[in-house]
Amino acid sequence: MKILVCIKQVPDMESRFKPAASGVWYDESDLAWRMNEYDEYAVEQAVQLREQLGEGCELTVLSIGPDRVGEAIKKALAMGCDRGVHVQDDAAATKDPWQIAGIIAAYAKDQGYDFIFTGMQSQDRGSAQVGVTVAEDLGYACATTLVGFAFADGTVTARRELEGGIKGIVKLTTPALVTCQLGLNIPRYPTLPNIMKAKKKEIQAIAVAELLKEEALAATVSFHPPAKKGGGIVLEGEMGTLVDQLMGILKEKTTVLR
Amino acid sequence: MNFELSQDHKVLQDSVREFVNKEIKPIAMQIDEEHMIPDTLVRKMGDMGFLGSYLPEEYGGAGLDMLSYAIVVEEVSKACGSSGVLISAHTSLACGPIYTFGTEEQKSKWLPALNSGDIIGSFLLTEPDAGSDAGAISTTYRREGDEFVVNGAKIFITNGGYRGTGILFATSDKSLKHKGVSAFIIDLRSHGVEILKNEKKLGIRGSYTTAFALDNVRIPAGNLLGQEGQGFKIAMDTLNGGRIGIASQALGIAEGAFERALAYSKERKQFGAPICDLQAIQFKLADMWAKIETSKLMTYKAACLKEAKKNYTMESAMCKMLASEAATYVTHQAIQIHGGYGFICDYEVERMYRDAKITEIYEGTNEVQRVVISKMLLA
Repeated sequence: MKILVCIKQVPDMESRFKPAASGVWYDESDLAWRMNEYDEYAVEQAVQLREQLGEGCELTVLSIGPDRVGEAIKKALAMGCDRGVHVQDDAAATKDPWQIAGIIAAYAKDQGYDFIFTGMQSQDRGSAQVGVTVAEDLGYACATTLVGFAFADGTVTARRELEGGIKGIVKLTTPALVTCQLGLNIPRYPTLPNIMKAKKKEIQAIAVAELLKEEALAATVSFHPPAKKGGGIVLEGEMGTLVDQLMGILKEKTTVLR
Repeated sequence: MNFELSQDHKVLQDSVREFVNKEIKPIAMQIDEEHMIPDTLVRKMGDMGFLGSYLPEEYGGAGLDMLSYAIVVEEVSKACGSSGVLISAHTSLACGPIYTFGTEEQKSKWLPALNSGDIIGSFLLTEPDAGSDAGAISTTYRREGDEFVVNGAKIFITNGGYRGTGILFATSDKSLKHKGVSAFIIDLRSHGVEILKNEKKLGIRGSYTTAFALDNVRIPAGNLLGQEGQGFKIAMDTLNGGRIGIASQALGIAEGAFERALAYSKERKQFGAPICDLQAIQFKLADMWAKIETSKLMTYKAACLKEAKKNYTMESAMCKMLASEAATYVTHQAIQIHGGYGFICDYEVERMYRDAKITEIYEGTNEVQRVVISKMLLA
């Protein structure tokens, strides 16, 4: 069995973001980087499946980006992935989800993966398109926003989270791609001995030009913080008038009064 | 010269930080109040590999380098100085000398259980009348057949309360001073080893500081570490390395206090603006950060020198001195920035202030560090 897990490195979400000079993405200087949260669930689930399947199973972690994404790949290796693939691309942030998915699919198409795991979306761009597009490109069965995963007798049983907390169960045959949601598992800490072992694992470097075949279908035209909100409404006048005004606002703008 | 951590070190730092934020930070106040690090946390730190970070994999260690070890102690100490010193004393002062001076048989026998954290290590040198003057110890040993028989008392033993594996120093003849000192590996559950008390302290309250009586304790001859009479050298060499651990602990305490002071200075408003707009506060922050960065550079340098097997005696003395003085300064200023709130236990900087002080004292007082540094300058 062969498993692929696709991860993205994103800024720490507590960072202070400011638009880059281009005006279409954030300024990457002085940011702390970490593995996308949803991809951590994907790595954990892939490692659990790898442990379930045992010897003869190979788990590869792939990430696209500049040198720094090596840190995210190494973390995944320390969590239990067997080997890494680093698609080197200093301009990954300017590519649209169609291109990113195309790069992954171009790499994966001849590899014969039985399973592909990834996060349901990235914490920075949040398009939630890459996973499903890779599945479409490769002709894989696909289920999104997983909060439960089991594999037995050649069938994946996926528990999905629907709107309003409702859950659904989907069965898939392999090859399959799933995208992972908060609640699926608790990612393990990379232990020091496993960080040491990860240093000896192979990370294959591939230049993005070898895999990129697609033109962008969408272009970001602006990246900006929300406009500053006004200072709220200050009601003035007699008590009776104030009450009438407040009732009017509550009826009109909220569901508190009908 | 390159002052950036490698990707491998960043991955390590990030992983340790994640563990500390989830497993240690939330209970740091409880550890201080209850004077106890929960066994479950000690177990988890063992599972993470924190208790054998730089020891080789063949003895159950993680096989990482000294810089990794420094980072582990630093990150843990940002949240909890007690947990930081547990790791430092255990690794530097117990695992370290067994690995450096032990026979192959001793290493195979003792290191795996220490490195996994199943057994906690300690270092029994200090006595009521022998602190900085370590050559003046009066705990004695004599040979009887296949055993050594030890009598005496030891005090201020970090991690002593765990009754794990200790590195014990005793003399065959006190009049020989440091030339009479030998080192032994001792199982602190042996007959005749009695805990007199676990001390109550100003800070690092979660860490055991234990006084022992040793009454006709029989130690197998095979537990002699190094040669007879080599004990003083083993003690000095071990403390040399241990200072990197204590510097890392002090650095972590300083950084933990700084993080809180910086955040608080942005939140706290007086005179209609955050207090970080006031130059009085800005200058404090600048002084604090400069001391932290200086200490960090020296601590990491000492770790890298030790890893490269170069002479690091002076750097380890300097990093211990700089970082501990940074810790007392930074925690002091962190309370000042917090004003009255800093004096309240809920704000945690008061704990850090208490935890910081000991780093100027143990593993060689800062006065001893100055002796070491000046001796080397004038040699």
